[in-house]
Amino acid sequence: MKKNIKNPFKTPQNYFDSFEDKLMDKLSTKESVMPKARGFTVPDNYFDTFNDKLTSKLNKETKVIPLYPIKKIMAIAASIAAIAIIFLGYNWNRTEELSISDLANTDIEAYFENNEFDLTSYEIAEVLPFTDTEFSNMLNSSIENENILDYLSDNTNDFEELNLQENE
Amino acid sequence: MIVEEALVQDLKTKNTQAQAFKILVNTYKERLYWQIRGIVLNHDDADDVLQNTFIKIYKNIDGFEGDSKLFSWMYRIATNEALSFIKQRAKLQGITDIDYQEKLVSNLQADVYFEGDQIQLKLQQAIATLPEKQKLVFNMKYFQELKYEEISEILDTSVGGLKASYHLAVKKVEQYLKTD
Repeated sequence: MKKNIKNPFKTPQNYFDSFEDKLMDKLSTKESVMPKARGFTVPDNYFDTFNDKLTSKLNKETKVIPLYPIKKIMAIAASIAAIAIIFLGYNWNRTEELSISDLANTDIEAYFENNEFDLTSYEIAEVLPFTDTEFSNMLNSSIENENILDYLSDNTNDFEELNLQENE
Repeated sequence: MIVEEALVQDLKTKNTQAQAFKILVNTYKERLYWQIRGIVLNHDDADDVLQNTFIKIYKNIDGFEGDSKLFSWMYRIATNEALSFIKQRAKLQGITDIDYQEKLVSNLQADVYFEGDQIQLKLQQAIATLPEKQKLVFNMKYFQELKYEEISEILDTSVGGLKASYHLAVKKVEQYLKTD
């Protein structure tokens, strides 16, 4: 090969020959950082035999157990009576449509406490309008200065962070 | 692709029901299976949940009002069934959902129907650390390659919210995979 005399730089031996392999290796390792396949498999013929399995399960599930006529009549009579009572009771007490304001605050709080919503702060921020919200709106009682000082002394490691100098 | 409206009509009509249900099962069983498997991880559990999903679909087809696509409706049932399956199992064992899912991932190595390599196992571990919503979005977008509009209909969440969830999920998973 003719030497490029204008160019004083050299490359290691076989650099360009092995470059492609090196690049491909790098590309494939980069891709494998997040593999597209999950590695899950299913038993042989699973999907082919699924329909039969489902059909037999469905037949079992929907099988009706015949009731004795007298029991059937009693069940029907009881359900009619129950429906009539519920219907009457429902209309008797019902004066207006229920709305969110009819719920006691404690019920709402209990609901939020007992149910897992799994919301991230981003998701909450997405639905909560914070434009006219004051910090004090979220509190039932005002914070005493003493509480603030207690909180800060318990939770601050570096008092420099608080920038107290100007108020000293 | 099957014509959904005609199929729904057939499913609601007594004498065409059986045949239509067969078409429905054949068309969707694999897609629903992978959706469920992504949540419950284990094949036997996925099989149970898939059967229950189709039984629920069969029993409730009269209540399907067509305000969403049949496909999204079924996906929603499959997802809910899989999630409540996980919750029930966790409750039975007296542990939290998160602990139960970590247990599922640690059982994967011994699972005959998991042939993943180390990186695929680590990917499952990474996914297990995500909050429920991000986990669902990640599975549906990354592995099943559903469109945001489809996921939005299934999970009843805005496309914007989904994009944010997916973005966060990918970041967390990548971060997890980079750490040793």
